[in-house]
Amino acid sequence: MNLPRLYIAGSAAFAAVMVVLVFMVLMMSSWGAISSEGLGLFTHKWHPAGGEFGVLPMIFGSAAVTLIALTIATPLGLLAAIFTSELLNPAWRAPVKSALEILAGIPSIIYGLIGVAFFSIWIGNLFDLQSGRTILTAGILLAIMILPTIITLCDDALHNVPQKYRESATGLGLYKYEVVRDVLLPIAKTDITGAILLALGRALGETMAVMLVIGSIDRVPDPFFNVLEAGQSITSKLGREIAESSFGSVHFSALIFMSLILVAITVSLTSFTQYYFRREKRLVE
Amino acid sequence: MRKYQRSRHTALFSLALIGTLLTIIAGCSRSESENVTVSGSSTVLPVISRAAEEYSQNNPGVRVVVNAGGSGVGITQLGEGQTDIGMISRDISASEKAKFPDAGFTTHVIGRDAVVPVVSSEIYDAGVSALTIDQIAAIYRGQITNWQAVGGPDTEILVIDKEASRGTRQVFMAVVLGDENAEAPGAKLVLGSNNEEQTALTQSNAAIGMLSQAWLNDDVKGLAIITADGSTIEPDLASIRAGEYPIARDLLLVSRSDLSEPSKAFIEFVLSAEGQQLVENAGYIKVTP
Repeated sequence: MNLPRLYIAGSAAFAAVMVVLVFMVLMMSSWGAISSEGLGLFTHKWHPAGGEFGVLPMIFGSAAVTLIALTIATPLGLLAAIFTSELLNPAWRAPVKSALEILAGIPSIIYGLIGVAFFSIWIGNLFDLQSGRTILTAGILLAIMILPTIITLCDDALHNVPQKYRESATGLGLYKYEVVRDVLLPIAKTDITGAILLALGRALGETMAVMLVIGSIDRVPDPFFNVLEAGQSITSKLGREIAESSFGSVHFSALIFMSLILVAITVSLTSFTQYYFRREKRLVE
Repeated sequence: MRKYQRSRHTALFSLALIGTLLTIIAGCSRSESENVTVSGSSTVLPVISRAAEEYSQNNPGVRVVVNAGGSGVGITQLGEGQTDIGMISRDISASEKAKFPDAGFTTHVIGRDAVVPVVSSEIYDAGVSALTIDQIAAIYRGQITNWQAVGGPDTEILVIDKEASRGTRQVFMAVVLGDENAEAPGAKLVLGSNNEEQTALTQSNAAIGMLSQAWLNDDVKGLAIITADGSTIEPDLASIRAGEYPIARDLLLVSRSDLSEPSKAFIEFVLSAEGQQLVENAGYIKVTP
């Protein structure tokens, strides 16, 4: 085997080994909490000083902010992508896309600071709240952060559909919106799902911006759909507490257990969608 | 043949690149022996970062790197050997001593401070300028939820708590709720550093929180404490110096038994007249006369 091939194979193997290693390290480090707390991990109360390590509020928080972010960003992103790919004058597509990609590259701490300084105050005033640091604030901020990713990847997905499909559909007398709805979207759906998955991964894993605006209280709101209250996500919990917990303690182990859950959520969602949109179901290769 | 030559060039270039990188890394780690790292309490931070600046100016060649994170983080990192000196704004707890039995922690008192219950200026101006410890405790327990109950306007109280590892919280809770790790069911937000807490108090018009007295200003006003005999103690330097203000504490630097020479010299600098002047400039009370 020659050098370049060896290099490529090596990189692939390295990535695969990393995934396995991450899983192993997480499992090993969280075993302490699993063995000593057991089902006590799935309770509502987090109070390390009192030996209580309930992770439910954090799981709820992560799920809630991610759901809010995707609910807002997916339709907006998809419509924007249809605009840039199908309606926008092709001469403008490149500059618009590069602007979007710059937006996707802004460090998350910047979003977080804008969130604390302005955005959370607007939310507080808008809903007449005592504090604008809420689950909803974090969700909307995340939606803004993942929107460029969704737009630019969906745009690629639509743009990659061969021109002949548009021409045939138009030739059959379909209106532009029918071409998009009945031809382009079904063909591009696998790639669009991929875009949403990538955005979901970023939303689930985002730490800094969420930590600054979510309010960081380890409590499931009452009632649970009241997202105008403060909450805590897995990542914001880790960001705030991992440095103070000493390596090897149950506290540390319980925090790692939460990150294991986070990885498990991402992996299962990814494999589920990849199975659902298997290759043989694709219309174009 | 040409292809072969090109790949050889690439290989040579990569080698040169790796060599340069290694040299840089080696260079960095060589100078690291003269580094002093300090981390922990965000209350002690302003003093130590000023001291670090002065010290590095007077002693070129020694770099003092200061990081915040909270007292709990400071002790954990010191115990695990990730930092040379820890900053804490409370005493080392028994569990921390038990966690790192081999570290041989030594504390150095560098100043005194008070933890003050603070309210948004709107509440202060509306007449809530002093509370009893019991009233503050009831607010943090969630038994009092409206400012009206303590003589303020008819608005809900935004109770701001701090991360459990923060020294400021532990000193405050030990006095107010009687246990440094007490839970505060009335809390609506949990924040971290003094800065973060100060920002949230400024942004709200009905909040109560806890801050080191050096962080009080026109937007975040410190409450006087009403004692059992009915007198009030203002959160000012005079009452803290006299030991009257009930929620007071020492600001400490912590070292391990394997303290390096540059780190030792830095601690001595903070305790010198020059260093103590910085303690006073930061708004705290110096320990040496």
